[in-house]
Formats: sequence, structure tokens, C-alpha cells
Amino acid sequence: MGSKPSKIILLMPLVFLLVFFYIPLVSIVKTGLWDGGLTLRYLGAVLSNGYHRHVIIFTVEQAIASTLLTLVLGLPGAYIFAKYDFPGKRTIKAFLTVPFVMPSVMVALGYILLFGKNGFVTELVGRDLGILYSWKAILLAHAFYNFPIVIRMVSSLWQRINPHYEEAAMALGARGWRLFWRITLPMISPAIFASAMLTFVFCFLSFSIPLIIGGYQYATMEVDIFTQVMTLLDFKTGAALALIQITLSAVFMYLYLRSLEAYSKREEQRIFQKPAGFGWRDILSIKGLLMVVYSLIVFLFIVAPLLAVLYDSLRFQGGWSLEWYRRVFSPEYNPMFGASTMVTIRNSLAFGISTVILSTLVALPVAYILHRWNFRGKRLFDVLVMLPLASSPVTLALGYIKVFHSTPLYYTAAIVAIAHTVIAYPFVLRSVSTALRKIRPNLFEAALSLGAREWRAFLKVELPIAMGGVIVGAIFAFAMSIAELGATYMLAKPEYTTMAVAVYRFLGSRQFGSASALSVMLMVLSALSFMVIERMGEEVW
Amino acid sequence: MVTVELRNVEKKWEDFRLRINHLEARDGEFLTLLGPSGCGKTTTLRMIAGFDRPEGGEILFDGTRMNEVPPYERGIGIVFQDYALFPHMTVFKNVAFGLEMRRVPRKEIEGRVKRALELVGLRGMENRYPEQLSGGQQQRVALARALVVEPEVLLLDEPLSNLDAKIREKLRGEVRRIQRELGITTIYVTHDQEEAMAISDRIALMNVGTVEQVGTPLELYYHPKTEFVARFLGLSNILELEAENGRACLGGLCFNVGKEGRVRLFFRPESVYVKPGKTGRITDYELLPGRVRLKIDVEGNTILAERFLNELPFSIDEPPEGVDLEVLSFSTI
Ligand SMILES: Nc1ncnc2c1ncn2[C@@H]1O[C@H](COP(=O)(O)OP(=O)(O)OP(=O)(O)O)[C@@H](O)[C@H]1O
Ligand SMILES: [Mg+2]
Repeated sequence: MGSKPSKIILLMPLVFLLVFFYIPLVSIVKTGLWDGGLTLRYLGAVLSNGYHRHVIIFTVEQAIASTLLTLVLGLPGAYIFAKYDFPGKRTIKAFLTVPFVMPSVMVALGYILLFGKNGFVTELVGRDLGILYSWKAILLAHAFYNFPIVIRMVSSLWQRINPHYEEAAMALGARGWRLFWRITLPMISPAIFASAMLTFVFCFLSFSIPLIIGGYQYATMEVDIFTQVMTLLDFKTGAALALIQITLSAVFMYLYLRSLEAYSKREEQRIFQKPAGFGWRDILSIKGLLMVVYSLIVFLFIVAPLLAVLYDSLRFQGGWSLEWYRRVFSPEYNPMFGASTMVTIRNSLAFGISTVILSTLVALPVAYILHRWNFRGKRLFDVLVMLPLASSPVTLALGYIKVFHSTPLYYTAAIVAIAHTVIAYPFVLRSVSTALRKIRPNLFEAALSLGAREWRAFLKVELPIAMGGVIVGAIFAFAMSIAELGATYMLAKPEYTTMAVAVYRFLGSRQFGSASALSVMLMVLSALSFMVIERMGEEVW
Repeated sequence: MVTVELRNVEKKWEDFRLRINHLEARDGEFLTLLGPSGCGKTTTLRMIAGFDRPEGGEILFDGTRMNEVPPYERGIGIVFQDYALFPHMTVFKNVAFGLEMRRVPRKEIEGRVKRALELVGLRGMENRYPEQLSGGQQQRVALARALVVEPEVLLLDEPLSNLDAKIREKLRGEVRRIQRELGITTIYVTHDQEEAMAISDRIALMNVGTVEQVGTPLELYYHPKTEFVARFLGLSNILELEAENGRACLGGLCFNVGKEGRVRLFFRPESVYVKPGKTGRITDYELLPGRVRLKIDVEGNTILAERFLNELPFSIDEPPEGVDLEVLSFSTI
């Protein structure tokens, strides 16, 4: 199991998780359930309150509906990607990463600019479609975020299905719909289920989208907790709500991890069968037309909000202008969030880079333990280290406020970076673990046979091979950090305001021009992240 | 059953061209496609199955053109090297699948699945999943699944090559027995010459992209038409000699070829008889169970001879200085 000092290094991240995830979690449990003694009063109050009940039910309902919409939008794409080769396939596939890394404040802004009173779509159609500030906008935005996950996971499994299965079934007389229903669907169902579960978890925990474009009536639990704590300063109710949220999301999380297991088990080697070519001539068939229509819808779906923001940032008093950008880059103090916009850019970058470093430092040793050690309770361990994925930023911040408010750590920049790390690190862990799993075990064994100790074999042989996964995970952590809104809003003092928070503040005071210009800056950072991720060619999920 | 016929079939992959002028598997025949890796056996089989389309020529079942007929309407059964058992279905469900596709009544399905599993020697495994079976058992299920729908043509692509030697030998005997029992036209792909010799009615020996020779195992073995065939099957001696007056000689070893000029002679090691003499010299030998393989130098050419130990006219421990050779059967190629 390696020498002693290395064990200590390995255990450090666990201590980190204990202090910065589990203790705050316990403190929330305590806040919600303890009042001089065990009490169910606050839980009971939440559950018997009509509004909170409505929020809980709505949170689950919108997550289910969003997941279904996501599947409807993603599955045809998965089919096309798995079965056909066509010009520009690589580019389009790369393009699908865009939503992953787009900050949700920016997407929310995009939706306001599209569907709002003076929105582009509203003007185009000539009337308000009633999409904004309703569940419709929430569902659309959630589908925007998640349908690429479905496309990626499902098409990647679909491609890897041994074609002999379908051929054997065909030889036995299965065809068309029945072939799909009896053979193909059961084979790809682990991917459908896993991607649906992941989508569900994300939608269940969604914050910025419902906060900005849902309104009071369409609040998720995450928004509700935020309001309780930040506006009403009711920590007890907030904690009780958080408790319910954590319990539910932990269950969903567990289901996701289980489905992921089934998913990775099903990954098979591909045998000689390339996707069919799809040339210009095929477009004239019905299938081809459907594919073109689908691609257009997807394309518009992705670029429309981004273009809306970009357009808006360049419009000033009815003409083209860079005025909004001049204001963004002016070092002028903005009393609305207590810093200049220049400073918010600097802050976002600093938090982003800290998050990259910290989350990699935490994730690598955990990945090593999961990869290399075998011990009793490893499954439980796996769930425990992944649980931060199921915790919401708002809940986490609430826990931090409870635990650290009287320590010197409170209100520092460090605590914000730490919160971002806890939120982002599961993605780094997943990414690294996936990359490690793909390495043939005999490489490690060869290194041992050549005299390397386990730890060195890992560092010298496996880690370099898995470097793509590390980098992709780290970039992803960066993108998550700069997009994070809830926890940052709750934990950062004015001079640490980030771009995402600033955009939210601009939106609150309906200064769309500034919000757009700053969003475009965010978009540029995200686009850079996206390009690095795409270069590495690793799968994040 | 049906006769499967390929006429002028062509297929191109990037850097590979297959062309088969004529190939036929007759009604009830066991035809084996034998050849080195990458020669196009699988490609040929997949075109017969209908998974790949030939770019030219015709595939005929009993004289009917099949090129445009999809796999599920060809009446074939196919067994893959990796079995391709549906992992999400039990053994029973796997075998029943083809019957369900044909909308066979439930009651009948049960009986037929049972009989198919009995045929391949698998009873009482109906409720297991493929991953709970050994490789040999999986192979039997795959065979049962292909056979239960009573196909007219059975196609097998290296069905035994993932199994260890013992089971492979046992199963190939069973495949042959079942094929005879059902009298089903069968096309079998392998690159194992011993397997091909053991179970085929006829063998089509393939070289890269072509069929070199079709014939019974004995025809191919003793009367190869090309050097490739001669060298691919078993060990062979090939000599290039000048013939005069109908005779070609290598030192004291002469052949009545009945031709003049340059000839290429082919003969198997077991056609070479040896006795003490002066024509050649034993340079090396190799003991096999009950037999010995001799390397004999004749005028700078190495000739292989294989004999049973108990028919050698000398003891192999004390080989004679020189030997005379007699070749009882040979052919010119
Ligand atoms: N789908 C395909 N796309 C491109 N090339 C292919 C494809 N299938 C086969 N080939 C090529 O065609 C040639 C013949 O392949 P085939 O699989 O028919 O050989 P084989 O005789 O079955 O070999 P083996 O004994 O190794 O299975 C090979 O060079 C192979 O690379
Ligand atoms: Mg093959």
C-alpha cells in the first residue's frame, strides 16, 4: 500500500473534505433538527407550509420535465452521431461542449433578451409568448444545458455496441422498430438512464436559471433556501429546507452513480464497423431532411442566447457602439456591488485559478485511492467522496456561514475559493478516474516489474497517460468557478465580487447593457476553456 | 435446403480487393473458407449473410439473386466468433428470440427452444445469463440460437477460435454431427487448417482477395493446384528440375514426369520412403509421437520425409551414412 509519508499525503484531501464539506453538512443538519434537543419542528413547519410544499413539488416536477425535454432533444442527436459520418461532424461535436461551460447567469440573460418584453423573439412574433418568468423558460434553459450530455453519453455507448448483436438479431428476423426496441434500446439504456439521472440532479439543484427567469412562483428549493437565508435571514427554515434537499439529491446522486456503473460496464470494444457516410446527396431523403432540421434547431438553440447577449452588448442608444465595454473596463468604482468591474474580472480569474489548483490537489489523491486500493466499504467511500456533486452551492454556503462565521476564515477570499473547490472537485475526480480506468492494468504491472514502487509507478506511468483527463477536469473546474453565483454571492464581501455576481446585480437593476458586456467577457473566458477541453479530446462524463 | 452460389463477386475496402469468380456451397454441403488472416473470409461470409453488399457480381440462393435481399429475409443462421449473445437476455430468451421474431406461438417456442438446447447438449441452463456461462457453453447457445429457426444456410465465422484446444476439438465434432443430422448447407470460416481438414466436405482455400482452389480436403492436400495451396496445407517438398526423355532427376532420385523441360514437382513428406543407400544424407531429424520427420540433403536440396518409426528399415538411434529415396506419389504444379 505504499510507504508511510505517501499515505499522509493521500489522507490530506479527505481531511479537507471532512472540514469543508462534511462538518458544514452536519452543522446544517444540526441547525435544522436541533434546538436544545432533537426537534422536528422546523421540518414540520416547512412541510406544512403551502409555499414550501409547492416549491418542493415544483422542484421535482420541473426536474422531471426538464429531463424529459432534454432526452427528446438529445436522443435524435445521439442517433445521428452514433450512426453517421458527415462533413463537419467533429466541429459540431466540439460545439456541443459550449453549453457545458457557459455561465448560467449569461444564459439567463440571453433568455431575457430573447423572450422579454422587448426581446428579439417577442418582436419577431409580434407578441409576448409568455415564456419568460414561467416554467417554460426554465425547462428550455435546462434542456440547453443538458442535452449535450445526453448526446455525448448515449452516442458514445451506441457506437461501441458490438455490431454483431444487431447483426445476429437481424439474421434471426428482427428489423426496424422491433430490432431497436428489443436489442438496441436495452443495450443503450444504461447510457440513457445515466445521462437522464445526471440531468435530473443538475436540474434538481438548479439555481441561477430559476432565480433569474423563474420568478417567485417558479422557485426551486435552491432559490427558496437562498431567499430564506439572504432575504429573510431565517436560518432555521433555510436549514430545514436544505436538509430535505440534501436527502433527496443524495438519493438521486446514488442512483446516478449506480447507473454510471452499469454504463461503464457496458462499454465494449468496437469491432470493424464505421458509421455510415452521409454525403450531400443523402440530404435529399426524408431522413436527411429530418437531420438537417434537427441540426438547425440544435444550432439555433445553442447560439441564439449567446448571439442575443453579444448583440445587446454592442448596442448603445439605438446604434452600434463599444460604450458598454468602455464602461466595463473603466476602473470606476461601482457602488452597486462595491468594486469596479475591472476588479470583478480580476477576482473571477483569481478564484478560477485557485479552484483549478485546489481541486486538482484534492482530486488526484482521491482518484489514486479509488484506482489503486481495495478495501472494505470502497463503494461507500466512492459515494462519500462524490457526494459534493449532490450538494448545492447555496446549501454549502449556508453551512459555511454556520460553521466559520466566528473564525478568521470567514469573509476571506480563501473561503470563496474553498467553496468553489468543493463544488468543482467532483468533476475533476470523475474526469481523472475515467482517464485512469482506460489505462490497461499491465502498464502498471510492467512498471512494478521494472522496480517502480506503486506511488512512483502511478506518477511516472499512469498519471502522464491520464494527463488529458486531469487537464480537462481542471479546465472544467475553472469554468464552474467563474460561473458560480449562489455560494459566491453569499460568502464574498464586496471587494471580492466576481463577474457572475456583478452580472446578476446588473440584471437586478435592469442594466442589460452592462450585464451583456460583462457576460461577453465571461463568454470569452468560457470559450477559451472550451477550446482547451476540446483540444484534449477527453470525455468529461 | 439450398445451394449458395457466388458469381464474379467483388468487394473493395480501402486497401483491399476481393474478387471471387465462382464459389458454390451445394445443398447440404459443409463448405469451409480457409485462408490466412486478412484474406477476406469474413468479408465473403458477411456478403452471403447480407450484412455487406458486393460491389459487383451476384450472390444466388438456389439460383435466385439475393444481392438486394436483407439479412432477415435470407433464411440464414449465423454464429460469430464472439458469439454475440444478447447480454440482457437469458439463455432461453436468446434462443427464443428468432422464434419470437417469426411470431411463433408461445407454446411452440418452449418446445423448440428445449429441443435446440438439447441438440447442442445444454439442458437446464435456460435461466442463466450469458456471462454466467463458460466460453464453450456460450458457443453452444449461439449455435442453438442460430439453428432453432431452422435456417436454410448456416454461417459460422471462426466459431471455435476463442476456445481452448480440447473443447475446440470436441465442439467441432459436434458441429459436424449436428450439421449432418439436419442436412443444412453450411459455410464455415476458419484459419485453422487442421480444423478445416477435419470437418469439411469441401474446402475453399483463399489467398489475399481470391479463392485459390476449391476441393475436398484430400484433393487439396494431395493435388494442390498452386504452390500457395501446397505450402498452406501441411508440409511439402517442392523441387524445380529439368526433365529429359520424360524423366527428371535430382542425383539418384528420379521422377517419371512424362514431360520435357523445366518442371516443378510437389510431394508430401509421407510419400517419401527411405532405405540405406547413397542418394542423400540425413542431416537432422525430429521425433513426433510414433513418427519421425527426417531432413535429407540431396545435392544441396533439403527433402522432408515423414515415416512411422516401426516401418523405418533402420533404427533412428543409429542412422545409416546415406539413404536412398523413393517418392510414391507426386504431382507437377
Ligand atoms: N469494414 C471494413 N472497412 C475497411 N476495411 C475492412 C473492413 N472489413 C474488412 N476490411 C479489410 O478487408 C480485409 C479482409 O478482411 P476480413 O475480415 O474479410 O479478413 P479475414 O480473412 O476474415 O481475416 P481474419 O482471419 O483475420 O478474420 C482486411 O485487410 C481488412 O482490413
Ligand atoms: Mg475474419
